[in-house]
Amino acid sequence: MPGLYAAQGIRKSYGTVQVLKGVSLDLKPGRMVTIMGENGAGKSTLFKILAGQVPPSGGTLSLDGAPLALASPSAAHARGIYLVPQEPALLPELSVAETMFVGALPTRRGPLGRVDWTAMRARARAALDALELPIAVDRPARTLSIAQQQQVECAKALLRGCRIILFDEPTSPLTSHEVEHLFSIIRRLRADGCTLSFISHRMDEVLEISDEVAVLRDGLLVDVVDRPSFDRTRLLSQMVGRPMKAVPRRSVSNARDEVALEVRGLSDGARFHDVGFSLRRGEVLGLAGLVGAGRTEIAETVFGIRPAAAGEVRLGGETVTGLDCHAMIRKGLVYVPEDRARHGAVLPMTITENVTSGLLERVRRRAGLLSARDETRISASAVRDFRVRCAGLDQTLRELSGGNQQKVVFAKWMTTGPRVAILDEPTRGVDVGAKEEIYEMIDAMARDGMALLVISSESEELVRLCDRILSVYEGRIVAELSGAGITPAAVARSYLTAAAPSGGVAA
Amino acid sequence: MSAAAARSPAASRPSWRERRELVLVAVTAASAGVVGLVNPGFLTFENLRFVALNSVVLSIVALGQTLVIAMRGIDLSVAPLMGLSAMVCGLLAQSHGLPLWGAVGIALALGLALGTLNGVLVAALNIPPIITTLGTYSLFGGLTFLYSDGTQVDQVPPAYAAFGNAGPLGLPVPTPVLVLVLVTAACWFALNHSRFGRAVLAVGNNAAAAYNAGLRVTAIRIQVYALSGLLACFSGLVFVCYTGSATVTTGTGDHVELQSIAVALVGGTLIAGGRANVVGTVLASLFLSTVLTALVFLQVPPIWYSAGEGLMILVAVRGGTRRAGGTA
Repeated sequence: MPGLYAAQGIRKSYGTVQVLKGVSLDLKPGRMVTIMGENGAGKSTLFKILAGQVPPSGGTLSLDGAPLALASPSAAHARGIYLVPQEPALLPELSVAETMFVGALPTRRGPLGRVDWTAMRARARAALDALELPIAVDRPARTLSIAQQQQVECAKALLRGCRIILFDEPTSPLTSHEVEHLFSIIRRLRADGCTLSFISHRMDEVLEISDEVAVLRDGLLVDVVDRPSFDRTRLLSQMVGRPMKAVPRRSVSNARDEVALEVRGLSDGARFHDVGFSLRRGEVLGLAGLVGAGRTEIAETVFGIRPAAAGEVRLGGETVTGLDCHAMIRKGLVYVPEDRARHGAVLPMTITENVTSGLLERVRRRAGLLSARDETRISASAVRDFRVRCAGLDQTLRELSGGNQQKVVFAKWMTTGPRVAILDEPTRGVDVGAKEEIYEMIDAMARDGMALLVISSESEELVRLCDRILSVYEGRIVAELSGAGITPAAVARSYLTAAAPSGGVAA
Repeated sequence: MSAAAARSPAASRPSWRERRELVLVAVTAASAGVVGLVNPGFLTFENLRFVALNSVVLSIVALGQTLVIAMRGIDLSVAPLMGLSAMVCGLLAQSHGLPLWGAVGIALALGLALGTLNGVLVAALNIPPIITTLGTYSLFGGLTFLYSDGTQVDQVPPAYAAFGNAGPLGLPVPTPVLVLVLVTAACWFALNHSRFGRAVLAVGNNAAAAYNAGLRVTAIRIQVYALSGLLACFSGLVFVCYTGSATVTTGTGDHVELQSIAVALVGGTLIAGGRANVVGTVLASLFLSTVLTALVFLQVPPIWYSAGEGLMILVAVRGGTRRAGGTA
């Protein structure tokens, strides 16, 4: 079966930084090869080279034994190689069908070269049907969810006759339910003999879908493991270069008796209804659920950036319902949103500027000007406390890895001295090693008496962090887990049983 | 939990924006009617012809601007380009007796060359379009000064005047109006039914995605700026033909760059790119031309004209950015 795509000694440098130091990898038809590794290990760069988006600095590619030079993504498409990007290629104002055909619109015969919309729609429909995707082809692409965008990308690959499909971290924005759907598509493609490869940080998924796992570390391929010899601990230690323990359940609770945040009968009138819970000082409370279940909306309403239709929010016994977020921050409540690049970190600004942007009122000033020395002092202590790995305080955030960016964002909020913090997907896009550091940071904040509400789509993360977990399904709290009842399976089951047609809430 | 994921497709169903053409026609007719009641001189054939020809010149520039904005760019240099072309063609005709076909050739070649310059600066050298065209705005304006050398156009040969004012083969419709119909049809077809136009919209939606999908983004960008330059220079020729005059402030004096952006946006093209409305642009030009002439008839002091245009841009951008179902 054709479709053997091989990379030999691929190297890539940006300036003086060597991202890939000679990577050789074979992708075979009918097999799924997963690339694992910490952020910055070179995974995405490798994929971009394989897909013709970035030229390699050295090394060769070959397809079924014949050498291959890819000048552009379209050259890769012509050879049947397709990369499903991490951020799907959304063209918001165009229809789903046209999005699929961009760059390859069918035209009618004739001197005008008129686009054949009928043929386009029919072929798009057929490609989506082949993957059993019930997505209307005339919908504007902007109405697709991220999961649907990825599904459309898969259909798009097939449409272009591509049989070598690379997925750059497709599952990180998806809920476990959506991941299952994506995997069923991937299994179908694999059974059909496609050559597949994907990048993931999530161990469970990797073990579930892969035929081979390749581990990249610092631009080198350090291990390639076949299915029979998969081993969680070995993979983790290969990735970070040091032995690590698999995600443990947290053992000690720091919860105190004093209630820090109390929410009663909260509703925004649309996305969630009658939500109530109380959060004690030092307690870590998790919100589990499918993406779209309303967890972010609940957090936004508590924080005051989304209006409440009914209910009450009390912070340390004081009613704060209806205050705006500036007042909330001053009262000691912060919200660290999930989309770091959009709402949290200012990528072109330096670490110092980012850290102090949340508390400019507290920086000492002379004659109305901020004291640079005071700013530096604050950010230096934040960098130390939050173990941000950087070359200097004046580095811009863009130059830091995802994990370190997230630490800076945390530092920014935590230096405001909050009593309650809401963390929305605190480790999204963060590599394995940095994840553990962030977990330890959250533990430390709880030890100091901060009350924490953590939203996460990764069951293991909630299990690792939380004293209690509330399960949200379609805007309602459907289960509460605590103590020994908290296991990854129980967490997933708690909202999936609510989603199952048979009904019945289990915990 | 993105907002886009949560919305239903039904959220984007018809609003007044979907029937923008009808609204523009109605508003234009209504304003003309009201002004006619106050001052019947507005509704004379001569004046309406003037309004129409004015809007033709603006429309031709604005169609180029529409393509550029649809691609998420902007072209401020259209105003001095229009002036430069009017000056070059007009002076050559006035003092050297350049035949009309020669003027057409010169206008098109000038527009193509200078528009391509814009395109190369934006697409190949990666200078942001607003900076690029602000720079070439001064550059092209300077060229007009240099070329005019203190003179101006105040008379054109009869062939030019006929091209600008009369209809071909004795038709009652002036040639520029027919040209506009052709240009509009070509732009409409291109944007709605040709690979090139759909590629322009794809680039405007998401340039990185368009590149990854195999489109030659750099080439498309250069071509669109070249087209914008071409149309701006052609409208300069039309202007000098029907008015018989050109000065160093032709184009820039009327803020044609702002007018063209305003009518493109009012017509339904998104400032963020990715969606364009060609017919809307032409109707909005007619509307703006009607309103500006009406202000003269209502004896509003000229100093208020550009305030009105500015207001129009702000309203259009505010309306246009509230796209239904868009992500927050």
